[in-house]
Amino acid sequence: MTATYAPARPIWCAGCGHFGVQGAMAHAFAALQIPPHEIVVLAGIGCSGTVQNNLGTYGYHALHGRVLPTAAGVHLANPHLTVVAAGGDGDGYAIGMGHLVHAFRRDLPFVYVVMNNGVYGLTKGQDSPTRHGLSGIGGFDAIDLGLSIPATGFLARGFSRHPAQLQRLMTDAIRYAREAKGFAFIEVLSPCVTYNDTYASWEQAVVDVAHVDDHDPTDRAAAFAVTTGLAAEGKIATGQILLDPDREPRREPVPAAEDLRPAVHASAYAEILDRYRV
Amino acid sequence: MTATGTTRVLTDLDVMVAGQGGDGSLTVANLLGILLGRRGFHLYVARDVASRIKGGHAAALMRGSLVPRGSLGDRIDLLVAFDAEAIEKGGPRLADDGVVIFDASDGPADRQHLPAGARIFEIPFARMAVRDLRRDLFKNSLAFGVAARMLGAPDTEAEEILAQRFSHLRPEVAAANLDALREGFAYADAQGLGEGASPWRLDSADAGDRILISGNEALAFGFLVAGGRFYAGYPITPASEILSWLERRLPQFGGVALQAEDELAAVNLAIGAALAGVRAMTATSGPGLALMQEGISQLGSAEIPVVVVDCQRSGPSTGMPTKPEQSDIGMVVHGGNGDFPRVVLAPGDPTDCFELGVEATNLAHLFQGPVFVLLDQAVSQDSMTVPPFAVDEVEIEPGKVLTAEELAAMGEYRRYAITEDGISPWAVPGTPGGMNLVTGNERNEWGQVSTDPTNRVAMMDKRMRKLETVLPRLPRGRRFGRADAPVGILGIGMQLGVMVEAVELLEADGIAVAGFQPRTLWPLLDETAEFVEARERVYVVEHNAEAQLTHLLASVGIPRERLVPILRYDGIPFRPGELAGRILAEEVGA
Ligand SMILES: Cc1ncc(C[n+]2csc(CCOP(=O)(O)OP(=O)(O)O)c2C)c(N)n1
Ligand code: SF4
Repeated sequence: MTATYAPARPIWCAGCGHFGVQGAMAHAFAALQIPPHEIVVLAGIGCSGTVQNNLGTYGYHALHGRVLPTAAGVHLANPHLTVVAAGGDGDGYAIGMGHLVHAFRRDLPFVYVVMNNGVYGLTKGQDSPTRHGLSGIGGFDAIDLGLSIPATGFLARGFSRHPAQLQRLMTDAIRYAREAKGFAFIEVLSPCVTYNDTYASWEQAVVDVAHVDDHDPTDRAAAFAVTTGLAAEGKIATGQILLDPDREPRREPVPAAEDLRPAVHASAYAEILDRYRV
Repeated sequence: MTATGTTRVLTDLDVMVAGQGGDGSLTVANLLGILLGRRGFHLYVARDVASRIKGGHAAALMRGSLVPRGSLGDRIDLLVAFDAEAIEKGGPRLADDGVVIFDASDGPADRQHLPAGARIFEIPFARMAVRDLRRDLFKNSLAFGVAARMLGAPDTEAEEILAQRFSHLRPEVAAANLDALREGFAYADAQGLGEGASPWRLDSADAGDRILISGNEALAFGFLVAGGRFYAGYPITPASEILSWLERRLPQFGGVALQAEDELAAVNLAIGAALAGVRAMTATSGPGLALMQEGISQLGSAEIPVVVVDCQRSGPSTGMPTKPEQSDIGMVVHGGNGDFPRVVLAPGDPTDCFELGVEATNLAHLFQGPVFVLLDQAVSQDSMTVPPFAVDEVEIEPGKVLTAEELAAMGEYRRYAITEDGISPWAVPGTPGGMNLVTGNERNEWGQVSTDPTNRVAMMDKRMRKLETVLPRLPRGRRFGRADAPVGILGIGMQLGVMVEAVELLEADGIAVAGFQPRTLWPLLDETAEFVEARERVYVVEHNAEAQLTHLLASVGIPRERLVPILRYDGIPFRPGELAGRILAEEVGA
């Protein structure tokens, strides 16, 4: 075996929610038995943006806010890879927000995990777009945004203090993307103990939609009614909020596997040249 | 042009076709191009359009010459003017004995814009039958009839060309166009311009095998042949044709081309594809390149191979989107935060675009970093005839990409291993055993973030060494004119064709000039310094207000006092005679 880098020990503060996210990823990779060389974990910039160093897979540290287009590029170049993009809420909902809408819309089969802590951890405590909550004036709910875009098929929310649920969601998301069904989005409520400790308030607020009677993850309108209804009561919906059951696997080109030798394409190239002859 | 008795034998002529209604209304330019092409003329074709979707004033400018030329000429010989604005714009450039074919539907032409010796055909299109033809098609076919008579082409040949050009149309439409052409002949007869009666005659020659192609198309083609299989871009003039060309072609070769939501996404999509080992490119113009700066710095720092194309247009900011300029030199050579190695290639014609497109694609992979290809609107969008590209000679150079076997034979693998040539072996995701960390942060050989000062210096030096490594293979410039002349002329991109011809004109005026077009703009090669050092003075021809190229040359120690910037920034390319005139004026003063 060739020796490669040793996975780093997390640099997070003791109690940081991001530990739970890393744990769920490691759990899912193991549960699905994916060899580490087939996995690319890309992370944005922030405390959250160090998770890729800790897992032993191929890892990439994206520019702040640009993890989504980068992950899309990796996927499009080689759809055989398992691509997991991750980052903070500042990364995804502030500087990178423009890309989120397009990731929902394009629905490329990879996973995106946002570690939402309502704050900029790495730059020491400035407000993120979710500092004032997920609902109400000033708030922002990415799941509701996802529900409003017709292409979405997998939307879920976890809480890093509830590892069993998070591990299940993460495993399902990765499986969904590996089966080429589409874009899988998970927001993880991942408190920052140093600058915005929301463990207690979120513990009070979370409601797993699995326990909500009228919830049906295959019904977009019903799902929206449930999430907004809970929000109106000051609650936060978690669990599998949307899951489109009717997805056929996408068939995509594999540029990374193409034979590039010009000799192989000689006649096709000559045909192109001919079109320009005078 | 040479005159024999009353017949002028044309070996080099400029045609302008202009009117309202966008590009489609200018078909007569294509028809004339076919006519000239059949006689072995080389072509140079430019379009001058307003930055609007439809409508607005548009012009097609075409030069046909038996000697290959890389720019338009100074004077227009034949002006097809579909409205008064066309006369206003084209008239002042008309040759003294030029010919105008004018749509006089709204009244006669305003002759104050035309030279006294010009001949004008005022055609009352509005009073002629349009039948079931689209008016713009009808006008084009009729005008072509008159123009073909003026150029001394047999009527049957004109009919053949029309049939060839409109072979894709429904038979009724093609037939109606033929009728319109014949109306043109009848009109010419009535004006005393019978078949074979023209004072002009087109010369002919055997030009050999040629293609007519634009720089953007040639560049995209070069990228494809060099193994490019991923492209992301956001629409912007004058780079958009690269996106549309690759959207059409890449899927045929198992590749992916995609319109991104903005330039931030475009460069990062390309980064992602490159990370996965696929040859990737993005193209844009100044405003988009400004948005890509952080990504470009990432390419340099994280050592990711992407080809970045800048089709320069007039700035600053949104500037004049459809007009050429060479004012991104500073941004391309120095842009992006921090220090990192980069290569900037600067093609001057479609052949260069193809060759440097191939080179950039290979080079990015060899050097694991950003390789720019710097065009300008004229190089990007003007088309010209060139010999067919040597597609068969293209080689794909894999660089230091590791196979699974090579990896397995290594005891350990470090993505950023410090090597003598600065280039680290590269395991792309999917390769068993090659797991690695890629980051734009400073890091150690394992890809783990590090601020250790010793490591930092070693890593920076390693990255910079890569430039030394690729230096010997960087494309050399092109020389022309008199090699031993004490006076030189130097320029990049669209200046090439104009400079070559201006040098000939100056020579005829008794001024010997040596010409040089650097094709690698960064790092500046020794040959560029040597060219300047071998002369008393060198005119640096540039389309910008700040003399950016002159400053770049001086920044590497080339003696500034020998450099004489010849600047222009009005959005119009130099014409050869104009450029020669500017230099002549300087020389008289020198
Ligand atoms: C273009 C750019 N702007 C600003 C920064 C500085 N910066 C680094 S991380 C960060 C915010 C991190 O917050 P978040 O994404 O929520 O992640 P967390 O640290 O909370 O996990 C900022 C603003 C940067 N790296 N790049
Ligand atoms: S600052 Fe906050 S987000 Fe960052 S590691 Fe500490 S607890 Fe986690």
